[in-house]
Amino acid sequence: MSSNTLNLVITGVGGQGQITLARVIAEAALLRGVNAIVAETHGLSQRGGTVIVHVRLGEVEAPLIPPGTADAILAMELIEAARYAYYLRKGSIAVVNDYLVPPPLPKIEVPSRDELLGIVRSYSDRVVLVPATHEALRIGDSRVANMILLGAAIKSNIFKDFIDFSSAEEAIKRVLGRAAKPNIEALHRGADLAK
Amino acid sequence: MLGNVAIARGFLEAGLQFAAAYPGTPSTEIVEALSTASRVLGGKPYVEWSTNEKVAVEAALGAAIAGVRAVATMKHVGLNVAADPFFSSAYLGVSGALVIVTADDPWMWSSQNEQDNRWYGLHAYVPVIEPTGAQDAKEAARLALSYSEKYKRPFILRTTTRIAHTRVPVDTGEIPLEKLEPQGEFIKDPSKWTLVPQYARRKRLELLDFWDKVSEELADFPLNSVEGSGDIAVVGVGIGYRYAKEAISMLGAQDKITLFKVSTSVPLPRALAEKISSYDTILVIEEGDPVVEMQLKTVLQELGSRARVYGKHGKPLLPRYGELGLEKVVSALSTVLGIEPPTWAKEPPKPSGQKLPPRPPVLCPGCPYRGFFYALRRAVNKLRLKPVYSGDIGCYSLGVNPPFYVQDTIIEMGGSIGAGNGFSHVLRGDRDIVIAIIGDSTFFHSGVPPLINAVYNKAPLLVIVLDNHTTAMTGHQPHPGTGVLAIGEQVEPMSIESVARGVGVEKVLVADPFDVKDSETKLVEALRYVKENKKPAVLVAKGACILVALRTAAKNGIRPVPYRVNLEKCTGCGICYTAFNCPAIYRRPDGKAEIDPALCTGCGVCAEICPFKAFEPVEEPNPEWFKIMRTARPVY
Ligand code: SF4
Ligand code: SF4
Repeated sequence: MSSNTLNLVITGVGGQGQITLARVIAEAALLRGVNAIVAETHGLSQRGGTVIVHVRLGEVEAPLIPPGTADAILAMELIEAARYAYYLRKGSIAVVNDYLVPPPLPKIEVPSRDELLGIVRSYSDRVVLVPATHEALRIGDSRVANMILLGAAIKSNIFKDFIDFSSAEEAIKRVLGRAAKPNIEALHRGADLAK
Repeated sequence: MLGNVAIARGFLEAGLQFAAAYPGTPSTEIVEALSTASRVLGGKPYVEWSTNEKVAVEAALGAAIAGVRAVATMKHVGLNVAADPFFSSAYLGVSGALVIVTADDPWMWSSQNEQDNRWYGLHAYVPVIEPTGAQDAKEAARLALSYSEKYKRPFILRTTTRIAHTRVPVDTGEIPLEKLEPQGEFIKDPSKWTLVPQYARRKRLELLDFWDKVSEELADFPLNSVEGSGDIAVVGVGIGYRYAKEAISMLGAQDKITLFKVSTSVPLPRALAEKISSYDTILVIEEGDPVVEMQLKTVLQELGSRARVYGKHGKPLLPRYGELGLEKVVSALSTVLGIEPPTWAKEPPKPSGQKLPPRPPVLCPGCPYRGFFYALRRAVNKLRLKPVYSGDIGCYSLGVNPPFYVQDTIIEMGGSIGAGNGFSHVLRGDRDIVIAIIGDSTFFHSGVPPLINAVYNKAPLLVIVLDNHTTAMTGHQPHPGTGVLAIGEQVEPMSIESVARGVGVEKVLVADPFDVKDSETKLVEALRYVKENKKPAVLVAKGACILVALRTAAKNGIRPVPYRVNLEKCTGCGICYTAFNCPAIYRRPDGKAEIDPALCTGCGVCAEICPFKAFEPVEEPNPEWFKIMRTARPVY
């Protein structure tokens, strides 16, 4: 698609903060005068199911990203990264939380971390792995993992000119209000991790 | 702004005075936003969560008859529940305004079916306004309310998931604060407000007149427009317009196409249809059923036009199921243009061939239902019963999955007790028993009439009410059992046990779902009672939705302590990750259990069910937490 748009797929397991992540990205883009459309999934997906959020920035009309055309994927979990990697186009980037949540189903076969990453690599030339949840737990709040991933993604240049650290910080303040401080710290932690 | 919030804003800008709803995805946030507004504005407009959609429409209709500007919002299947008053409302008309919002859910992201409620508009003679996206949802809502006020007739505002749950920037206008206060007045006039045959017949004729008139006048609806001047007509209906617009620019086909933006899908305005029929090639892009396509074809036929209409009929270019997508619209448009579609549209890449484990939604870690379902399976095994689990809609629907399998049928809201009545009278054999499982909100929605039926007709069934003190699945709205109104005012909570006793259930028990032993004992008692007495029994299991409990704890500065596995005690029996199945617990390669501290909520139930006492808290938990877990209610 054209260079004045950015198609971004955000995935993970329900409850990992994908919708907040998408809202922060959209808000950050709007702050810089870039149009944004965020299509969310709700309802049952909140309960530990697979989640996909479509974020489209720039000159866009339709809410959903067609498979094979996403410029980047931000994945909060490895199985979900592999599941939705087919949305990516050639030359795209995958920013993936190095964290695996086995589906809680009795007798389930879970592929290994390396197998899952292999699938992501078969769709994307550039995979940035970030230990976001581990880092978040180390800091003491697993909920900020999404902002760690965002920091790493901005550092990896997936947002072109649409978003930078200062617009992201401002967006976090607007979206998260009182909880902004630890999230902004997490954002910068993510940037360090992506170095 | 979320599409649903934009709709709420549009209603407020139009001077909304009364809103009623039952929550349902993807409609819920409309009334959530309105109740927030009402709280800020001191109770104006009046906003309520009704016990079900039928009640919501009845209440809104009553208000509108009394001259008030009213809306009732619901998900698509909610309109089935409300169909009866809805059809009557078309005959009666209103003296204020009445808009019914139906949020359709193509591809059933969180619904039991996919249904296009524009048919209801055609069926009941109620005009349907469809915004083309979250961008103009606000304007569509505002206009729907003011058109309803102008014609004194109900209007439908139809959205789909991608309008309701899409976030885009929206410009806002003024809210006329002085107009939000409802000041109803009922003027008696039986010939106007009673549908006895002599009056209803006259109203039928008036309704048909109105339909002709509105078919003419809606052509100028402000959200309808025409773009471009090419030889091919593309009709973009509702969200279909957004897909059409982007597809046209992607294919660089601006010069070849005239794009009709249609926001009045029912009735399709006559003048608009005539304009479209002057083209030889027409492509209709709409989400759901071919409702506009069909109306358009009727007009074409009357006009003797030979235009080719592409859409969802005949050799369809677009499917009659699921959501629209750019790839679908781009390839349909390419066919009409006679060009090769780009590869991503023609052959969209497939998911990887490698097998990935499915991830169905599951009960949250720490959900009270998990321990209870575990106890239920044990009680049933102990008594060697073969139950039919008559299920319902709510978080507990997830009990359909392994390892519990405690939902054999899921029909609709309230269907568990209703169908349970049927099962209980026809099942033969002594081991069969009917267990109807329903949530607290669903019980109030439509569980009471079938419970009355069970008592009256002596249906031998056990009704389990899983009471987590909220409507959890849609995001924690209050209901009559919670003791709070939509705008936050405290009221006397209604007790499910008293309702059950009040309608004549003789055996009513209460269990603590976080106490697996207690639950099992009470279940055994209740099941025995039903078997022996051939009468219904009700068991209420009370424990807070863990998401609410966690929030309450955080507010009070209490940190739930996660649990861990003592690997020396763990024998790898697997009960916790196969039969109990908490998502925070998984199997290590050596078969022993492990807890993911990022997921564990510290409910402690694993410690009860492990036969080897292998689970222990990481540190001494705060006893307050265990109290909160059982009693927390959402704060509004
Ligand atoms: S939302 Fe609440 S009730 Fe629903 S599964 Fe989670 S904890 Fe259970
Ligand atoms: S305490 Fe045990 S049962 Fe409760 S959430 Fe944690 S691991 Fe699951």
